Amino acid sequence: MKSIGFISSVIYTGIALVAAGLFLAVTLPGRYTLVESIGGTVWVFSLSMIILMPIITPIVKKKRGRVKF
Amino acid sequence: MATAGRRKLRKITLQIAGMTCASCVTHNEQALGDMPGVEKVVVNLATGKVTVEYEPERVTLADMRKTVADIGYEVVLDNVQLHITGMTCASCVANIEKAVGDLPGVGKIVVSLNIGGANLEYVSSVTSFFEIKKTVESLGYGVSQKIEGQEALDREQIARYRDVRRQLINLIISGILGMLVMVGMLQPYFFKFLPDLMNNKVLLFFLTTPIVLGPGRQFFVNSWNGLRRGITDMNLLYATGIGAAYGIAVINTFWPDAGFGGKEATFYEAAAMLTVFIIFGRYLEAVTRGRTSEAIRRLFKLQPKRARVFRDGQEAAIPAEEVQIDDVLVVRPGETIPVDGIVVEGYSSVDQSMITGESLPIEKKAGDEVIGATFNKTGAFRFRATKVGKDTALSQIIKLVEEAQTTKAPIQKLADKVAGKFILGVHALSLATFLFWFFIGFDLWFVPESRLILTPYSLTEVGTFGLALLVSVTVLVISCPCAVGLATPSAIMAGTGKGAEYGILFKGADTIETTTKLQVVIFDKTGTLTKGQPSVTGVIARTGDEKEVLHLAAVAEKNSEHPFGEAIVNEAKARGSVLEDPTLFESIPGRGVAAQFDNHNILLGNRRLMAEREISLDSLINEAERLEWEGKIVMFVAVDNDAVGIISVADTLKETSVLVIEELHQMGFEVVMLTGDNRRTAEAIARQVGIDRVLAEILPEDKANEVKKLQAEGKMTAMVGDGINDAPALAQADVGIAIGSGTDIAKETGHVILINDDLLDVVTGIQVAKTTIRKVKENLFWAFGYNTLAIPFGMGILYPFFGQVVSPELAALLMATSSISVTLNTLRMRGFVPAVRRRGGKRTCQQVTIAAHPVGVHTD
Repeated sequence: MKSIGFISSVIYTGIALVAAGLFLAVTLPGRYTLVESIGGTVWVFSLSMIILMPIITPIVKKKRGRVKF
Repeated sequence: MATAGRRKLRKITLQIAGMTCASCVTHNEQALGDMPGVEKVVVNLATGKVTVEYEPERVTLADMRKTVADIGYEVVLDNVQLHITGMTCASCVANIEKAVGDLPGVGKIVVSLNIGGANLEYVSSVTSFFEIKKTVESLGYGVSQKIEGQEALDREQIARYRDVRRQLINLIISGILGMLVMVGMLQPYFFKFLPDLMNNKVLLFFLTTPIVLGPGRQFFVNSWNGLRRGITDMNLLYATGIGAAYGIAVINTFWPDAGFGGKEATFYEAAAMLTVFIIFGRYLEAVTRGRTSEAIRRLFKLQPKRARVFRDGQEAAIPAEEVQIDDVLVVRPGETIPVDGIVVEGYSSVDQSMITGESLPIEKKAGDEVIGATFNKTGAFRFRATKVGKDTALSQIIKLVEEAQTTKAPIQKLADKVAGKFILGVHALSLATFLFWFFIGFDLWFVPESRLILTPYSLTEVGTFGLALLVSVTVLVISCPCAVGLATPSAIMAGTGKGAEYGILFKGADTIETTTKLQVVIFDKTGTLTKGQPSVTGVIARTGDEKEVLHLAAVAEKNSEHPFGEAIVNEAKARGSVLEDPTLFESIPGRGVAAQFDNHNILLGNRRLMAEREISLDSLINEAERLEWEGKIVMFVAVDNDAVGIISVADTLKETSVLVIEELHQMGFEVVMLTGDNRRTAEAIARQVGIDRVLAEILPEDKANEVKKLQAEGKMTAMVGDGINDAPALAQADVGIAIGSGTDIAKETGHVILINDDLLDVVTGIQVAKTTIRKVKENLFWAFGYNTLAIPFGMGILYPFFGQVVSPELAALLMATSSISVTLNTLRMRGFVPAVRRRGGKRTCQQVTIAAHPVGVHTD
């Protein structure tokens, strides 16, 4: 059985990557420089991770039961 | 030790070092709470203590220490140096280390054969030093605590000192370097006389990096530890803010063409000053934590170190903790009494203010109780120890205050919960702000000449990403409710400490909060509003001499044990009567007494007794009814079947009863009196003290039900009474106030314990609680509301109108202001004097006497 930490990280990293990918997709063909697009993508990814980690982890923990990290 | 179902739970309180904010509380609560076998965890940031309820079979102290260490904190243990005698070889060392190391509260013991001693780290609340000593002695060795180790006992103070020093060092390092960075960044604008080298970006990189990776490292480590467990915290806000500012500055220094604004957009001073201000806030918090726990530290310091004990006819000075029950101790003028006991010889006056809050010294003679840690002023005396170690009044007070300080008020639980969500919300807001300025704001409003507020910097070199990131980081920093972790516990600590100064002990933070919501205060009558000691208030003789009537009544009551009998005997003696023994004495339950003296039959009792003996009361009945209306108990005296007089008996109101009721009315409370007396007597007393509502003729076992009935009316109710006799009613009340507990604190049932028998402490306690919770709310405003109000400015609301943005370092300064506000506001509590004490607690009512329990009526 996979650990809660692993499952959670797959979920929140996945969602954050999707959000960052969306940002990149929107900015790349536009008037933004590559650096601005990539910088923004990194920032969106970082904040998305930070927002999602504390949301996803307890949800997974709740569903899978309390397990020590 | 508590038992939950079949599981045996043990409670342990540990001192944790390294906690700096509310998120540290969450980290520790969650990490310890996740351990198998841990039932409940409560962390108090202000005291730096964590209380854990756990199953000793499933989890050990070592496990907890490891878990706490894993998330970046440290469990601080008591550290003592032992002097061990009788060790001869290495196996002695191994034996002692094994035996002591296996004790549940021992963290570490290192025995040294060479120095004949050991270094011991343990948790005294789990295993006492005495138990450790017994264990070593059972192996055949002698052991004592090295005197110099005594100084290490104040582990709390040491831990606080270390925390303050750590933050101070961080502040000095980051402050000096930060100022250099600031000067360097401003060199082209204000400090042109300085060499251009000061503004060299590589130099600034080398000045800023030690700040971020040194003092600032704690934020990155702590936030990562939190994130691993799914916890967002204030450290995260700092880490993202500092990290973003520093990252962009580094990129623009070494890769200026990367498109992040170039060399002129290196905000090294943002990263540096952000760290400086945050650490400044942390330093202030550490100092505040130390200050607010002063009350408990003062109590700790009261613990005497040495005692003079008489053993085998010799006087010897020994460590106070080695005093045993029934030891006879000697106390000389100017010395502190080491333990609780009873005076056996000598006379002195003792200053008990440090324990009871009583300002005047108390006279002590043989048979009187003395309290450990109080100060002997004038004479020398000997006393027999009755309570030692953990059982002394001081130890109980310390335990109670400490326990109260480790509890959380409902308002704090709410604040912690909101803080967690708030931080998450702030990150979401930061992301939204970034996206807004990236896609919309920049195009709509950006002008290259625009500036950061209060700085000479223009944003010329900043591009879309740079501006959006700058505003996004500012939102993170400006909205950080970093002082929220300190807001409630620091005020609660200050409040419980202030209460202890007046001899008022709150058993928990929740009690303090509930006390502020009270609507009704119920007083038990006897022993609470009154002294519980009846006295003679008047003697009426139908014919002849009042003194003779009193003398006959006193002779009849001479062998009685009834409180009224004692009151009559005492009064007669006070008036100079010499009391002979009656030739016959008969107690008639519920009615009075009959006696024979000097060939006369004397009857003393109530109306029923007189009626049964067919004695006419016509000549006395008007006087009797008048006295009864005044709430006094009337006892008729008959000699040879002829009513000769009346003796009225009444309990005496305490000096402050009327004042207390008046104060409570002024504060808007409904005041109720609960008594077993008959209604007429009860109402007479109520009239005298000014009580609104009387619940009379209540059996002792029904008192709790009466409290319940008032609660059913939707009223928050306090019950003031004797902590032992009124225990069920005190437990039923929303706040049970046990009055006059003296030194038997452990026996008390109440939520609030008043050490003194002074009713005024009820008002004082309520005023302390109200001020404490007001401080909590003010602190929460400074910690929370203030940041919330600043968020729009952080988001750049001023930019479209004034072309100015709040810089991250200004945001950090605003954030630190929040901590300063909380700190100063809490410290103001130190000088707080409850209004009732300010107005002169010595203002008392005149002595008023009221009826005690009528004969034949159940009593309370």
